Amino acid sequence: MAAAALYGAGGAMKGGKLGMEGAVDMQLNRIRITLSSKNVKNLEKVCADLVKGAKAKELRVKGPVRIPTKVLHITTRKSPCGEGTNTWDRFEFRIHKRVIDLISSPEVVKQITSITIEPGVEVEVTIADV
Amino acid sequence: MAGRGAGGGGRKTRNFATFRLFPRAGAADPNDRVFVRVDNNDYNVPGFADEDPFDSNFTADAADLHSFASGPLPEHVRREILELGLPDDGYNYLSHLRELRPAASAASSFVPNSTARPEPLPLDVKAYDASRVRVAPSADDLDEGKTMCKVAAKTAPLRRVQRALDPDVARLLDESDFSHGGSEDEGLEEDFVIMANQAEGDDEVEEEEEELGNGIFSDVEEEKEEEEFEDEPKPRVRRLLDEQFDLLALEEYGDSDDDDDDRGGRDGDYELPSEAIEELKLFCDQNGCVDEDYRTPADFVRGRLESTTADEVDESANVIQKCAEYAERYLNEPAEEKETVLVSESSDESEVWDCETIVSTYSNLDNHPGKIETPGNRRKRLPRVFPGETATTNDLIKLHGKEKLPVDYLPQRKRNGEKEKKVKPAEAFNAEKVKKEVHKETKEEKKARKAAVKEEKREARKAKKELKGLYKSETQKAQKVAAVTGPSSIRLIEACYGHCNSSTAMLTEGEQ
Repeated sequence: MAAAALYGAGGAMKGGKLGMEGAVDMQLNRIRITLSSKNVKNLEKVCADLVKGAKAKELRVKGPVRIPTKVLHITTRKSPCGEGTNTWDRFEFRIHKRVIDLISSPEVVKQITSITIEPGVEVEVTIADV
Repeated sequence: MAGRGAGGGGRKTRNFATFRLFPRAGAADPNDRVFVRVDNNDYNVPGFADEDPFDSNFTADAADLHSFASGPLPEHVRREILELGLPDDGYNYLSHLRELRPAASAASSFVPNSTARPEPLPLDVKAYDASRVRVAPSADDLDEGKTMCKVAAKTAPLRRVQRALDPDVARLLDESDFSHGGSEDEGLEEDFVIMANQAEGDDEVEEEEEELGNGIFSDVEEEKEEEEFEDEPKPRVRRLLDEQFDLLALEEYGDSDDDDDDRGGRDGDYELPSEAIEELKLFCDQNGCVDEDYRTPADFVRGRLESTTADEVDESANVIQKCAEYAERYLNEPAEEKETVLVSESSDESEVWDCETIVSTYSNLDNHPGKIETPGNRRKRLPRVFPGETATTNDLIKLHGKEKLPVDYLPQRKRNGEKEKKVKPAEAFNAEKVKKEVHKETKEEKKARKAAVKEEKREARKAKKELKGLYKSETQKAQKVAAVTGPSSIRLIEACYGHCNSSTAMLTEGEQ
């Protein structure tokens, strides 16, 4: 993860700052939460909840970064046979992705993610060194 | 930073761990999710991995199973599998189990099925519905046979029996039946006032009987209150109409004459009336002979008018002789005229034959002749009588062309085209004469001429198309008719044969 490495460089400095300031020094990690879903509403709700929860716990949060949505197209003939005017159906499948970065300990993250439960939202958590 | 320090050729050391949230396998709630590691880097995250309870359980079972992978499953596992009813074949079916959703049991509690049939009886028990049995009030003649017959006649076997679930419920049900059952079934009696007055005295008796009924927690209900109501018809004064009705019923249906007895008892008696018994005895004495003789047509032929039933036994013995006799007789009857001529076919006057059918000797199955008339469009017909023709046979429809269509009766096509054709060349001819004289007009004349020619061609094309369509529609119609009347091998649209046999029997072919 080259991006993570780059980011890590930037984050490390901040992490260092945090380490000097913060009293509680549990093993902090850079945590990247990637949320992806088919429907935007649920996704935005989960994002908002996560950010709110993290802010409540006084964590450093990088707000939801919206990755451009991937649209998967399926274009098929409408007709089951070959007869008729060639009408086509254009189906699409939209995948929305949001990325939230935190700097905290993994236990806290686990708590936060367990609260916000929404069906249809896929959550992936990547934990790296500070 | 640590990641960046790696060498140029190799991959950067990956110091991260990725977890994904999956719903727990076998969990009741789909929102019950756990973090599962999806990468295989060397990085360890103490926080995430250890706290997972599912993982710990899983690993414990896995450890057990792995130790016993080669051998049988541990005893407790096997016992649990067997308890669930799954086969004991060494596979751990418990890994596929799923918890019950809490919502399922809480929200949808079981409701008793209103449409369920009562459960069937066990095989060694037989139940009868004795609700229609009328126990005779007088117990003097307890002839076992009679009472058995009565009971058997009125009871109906049951295959399913409704078992009351609760004795209290059963008691309540029984009580309600007693209070409403009798009056609802039979309606108000005619002298219910008297009954009501009497009921005050009979109340005690009723209650006792009810108690008896409730005490016996029985499956089969008996209408005990019927006994009380049985007495009611008796005090009613028997009118003349009643007597007449009873007589009629007796005559018509020959029931036992138990008018004097209780009416309820009549149903139980199954003795035949005395008259019937006498008849039967007579019949038996006569050994099955009927008074009137039974005659066959053969009897008439042979001239035998006596009863032949007695001779039947004898006849069978010398059948061969009889056959020989008949054969001789057949040979020797040159000109004998029998008295009775048995005709198998029906007589002439009952059937009316069509002359067409007779002539063509076709069967009515595929021949439906009708009166043939000229088609309806006679008015459209132009009299195509040329001066040379002598006889104008108006009754004949002439067929022309490959498809043998009645041309005179088809819808007319435009005659204008023909006229124009004759006219146009004349005009053109005149135009040409003029053309030589005046050159200026040639352009216009040419245009006019060309236009005329074009018009003429257009008309011709249209006429041709119309005729073609006409022919086709007419053949279709003719094919339809042929399909109904003629054999199916006739094909008109392809114009192979061109006529159907029955309906064109009277039509002549026109010259091609």
